[in-house]
Amino acid sequence: MMEAGVVLDEFGDALYWHLPKERSCGALPDSVDLWSIFWENRENLSGFAHSHPGFGKTGPSHTDITTFAAVEAGLGKRLDWWITSGDSMVLVRWKGPGRLDYHRVDVTMEPNWLRTLRQVSTYRDRQGKNRRVRW
Amino acid sequence: MVDMVINQDEARVNVTWNGQNGDLPDPVYFESTDGDLRAMVQEAVQNGDVPGIAADPNANFTDFVVDRFRATGEEDWNKIHIRPKTPFGR
Repeated sequence: MMEAGVVLDEFGDALYWHLPKERSCGALPDSVDLWSIFWENRENLSGFAHSHPGFGKTGPSHTDITTFAAVEAGLGKRLDWWITSGDSMVLVRWKGPGRLDYHRVDVTMEPNWLRTLRQVSTYRDRQGKNRRVRW
Repeated sequence: MVDMVINQDEARVNVTWNGQNGDLPDPVYFESTDGDLRAMVQEAVQNGDVPGIAADPNANFTDFVVDRFRATGEEDWNKIHIRPKTPFGR
């Protein structure tokens, strides 16, 4: 499995697939290119989705939360932060009042980018087989 | 764009905050530490000392990163960019 991300536009559609060379099964590295995408599209941005390893319920790490806060502070706007595992997804939003006070909501909807995000994350299924990636 | 004289061991500092972007009015030592740069920029934004960025007493640059760019043939001076970090994961 390799973590992956996608920047989402104001309609919730995929705007930019974030698949850096240095991504791993546990992290997406800091990326000036990703920040440039956020900044250049700040007027019509709604959020960012990324994948976590494994199956079942997932949630943001401390690194995730501090990145959410930093990006929102830089852009001057709040975003939707989606995190998916191999078979479930949560939506994380700032709740306040503190800078790092984010809460997560389980979601059952399947946005049109979710299938591709899971494919490019190359999850193995529960039997340990690789899922085929089709673009 | 701010007119300033920038020596070879100095850099122009560009800051992004709250949907705004601007340069510090004075150059800084290029080899300043990341911590010193973040503190300097945070104080400047809090005090409204960055042209193009409205004063924000609550500005917090704890989770921002420092990108350094040496002068090249196309760029006449060193540049430092202070921008939000973007890693995800562990």
